[in-house]
Amino acid sequence: MDQNTRNDLLQLFREKLNSAMTYYLETCTRCGICTEACHVYASMGQVKHISAYRHEIVRRIYKKYFKARGKVWPSVGEAKELNETALEELYESAYSCTGCRRCMVYCPFGIDTQMIMSIAKLLLIGAHSEPEILTLLADTSIEKGKSLDLFKESFMEGVKKLEKDVVKKWKMEAGETAIPMDVVGADLLFVALAGAHSIIPTAAVFNAAGEHWTLSFFEAVNFGAFVGDPTRTQLILDRILNEAKRLKVKEVCICECGTAFRVMKQLAADQPFKVSSITEVHARYIKSGRIKLDPSKLNGPVTYHDPCQIARNGGVFDEPRYILKHLTNDFREMSPEPKYNWCCGGGGGLVALGEDTLDFRMKSARVKADQIKTTGVTTLVTACENCHTQLNNLNDHYQLGVNVKFLTSMVADALMQ
Amino acid sequence: MNEEIKVDKTLDLKGLPCPMPILKTSRGIKEVEIGQVIEVLSTDPGSLADFPSWTRSSGNELLKTDQSGEVTKFYIKRLV
Repeated sequence: MDQNTRNDLLQLFREKLNSAMTYYLETCTRCGICTEACHVYASMGQVKHISAYRHEIVRRIYKKYFKARGKVWPSVGEAKELNETALEELYESAYSCTGCRRCMVYCPFGIDTQMIMSIAKLLLIGAHSEPEILTLLADTSIEKGKSLDLFKESFMEGVKKLEKDVVKKWKMEAGETAIPMDVVGADLLFVALAGAHSIIPTAAVFNAAGEHWTLSFFEAVNFGAFVGDPTRTQLILDRILNEAKRLKVKEVCICECGTAFRVMKQLAADQPFKVSSITEVHARYIKSGRIKLDPSKLNGPVTYHDPCQIARNGGVFDEPRYILKHLTNDFREMSPEPKYNWCCGGGGGLVALGEDTLDFRMKSARVKADQIKTTGVTTLVTACENCHTQLNNLNDHYQLGVNVKFLTSMVADALMQ
Repeated sequence: MNEEIKVDKTLDLKGLPCPMPILKTSRGIKEVEIGQVIEVLSTDPGSLADFPSWTRSSGNELLKTDQSGEVTKFYIKRLV
């Protein structure tokens, strides 16, 4: 690595050094409490997957270039040179961490591994060593924001074809629009995943509740966040923020996509609308009697997998359980309790990387498979696209014999007309 | 059959949700030569937004979108 490249990367590192990050980098006492907290370590038993070890790769670069002792006496200061080998270690560390923050819950100092890994991901971007497919997907999303006119009409035409399937789930009066789009003054903007499975059931529930809603032109998922690029993350987010402001909505509702919800919730402060997950909105409809659900639609024991970005990192724990109380009489909680729930093993961009990461995802989530198996359920419910894909993969790989379902689809299928 | 555009490779991505059509197309297009055309079959409505944006950001050319049936067909010329 030449000196100019290293200087550029160190500048990126420097930009991440706010007071919280400095605290995380200077506080670890290596107490080891985080050791068993990581699902990757708990499943595979390799030291390189212990959270504190992941930190240490970043921390030693920090000591080398930003701390006096590391600069003057590197061997004592536990300093590490930023070179090609370090980049390889940063890659392995960052892309084997799903950003679930389970380790943070156990850490007595609350050190945020995901934040530290954000330095690793940013350095990889700076060195053009990130998974290029994530950048490609992020750039496609950004381009959509610039060129809505290129696809607006054809997308609306494509969505129109889905309306017959929405009406099958919830009948409507003649002349009513099953999937409204581009409605200025709507109360709620729904940001879906642009796939039929994400739009159809949710549209039926909105219509059943009599919601004055409109569907976003943009997909919720934020590939900029997966690849750890703050600029791309914000540009992808801005598309939705601008659309929400243009339509003058009161609420932006994010579909079953954990990262999309966390990013919107945490980065969209001080907006003229509130941000909700679809799970929160459905719970609200049930509480206020806007929808009624038929519990006889679902048979057998049921459990719920908390998506890390919606529950531990987004604060939505009670609402999915409230909804499930109206769908089943045999709900079984996983152990350990939701706050300490094991990650599915698919976050942080790993599911988006598809078959390239499949073998690792299966091996590193053995504890999740065991956790599900122990419940003895036949239906496994979740509220995140990534989790749903990963749990289906685990179901096949470990022969769990469960039916993996989206919570929204279950609500739509149980609607009482 | 498309009578106007000579297709060099077809990618059948029916049933795959976003972002799989884009992921598989970005890999599949590298299996044809620059200047050749791939036909992509998709049932995902998100593809209608994805492909115009992806071709623009990746430097390829979307020649035509045919959404007359349940399956949407995209004709993409590899330029890079």
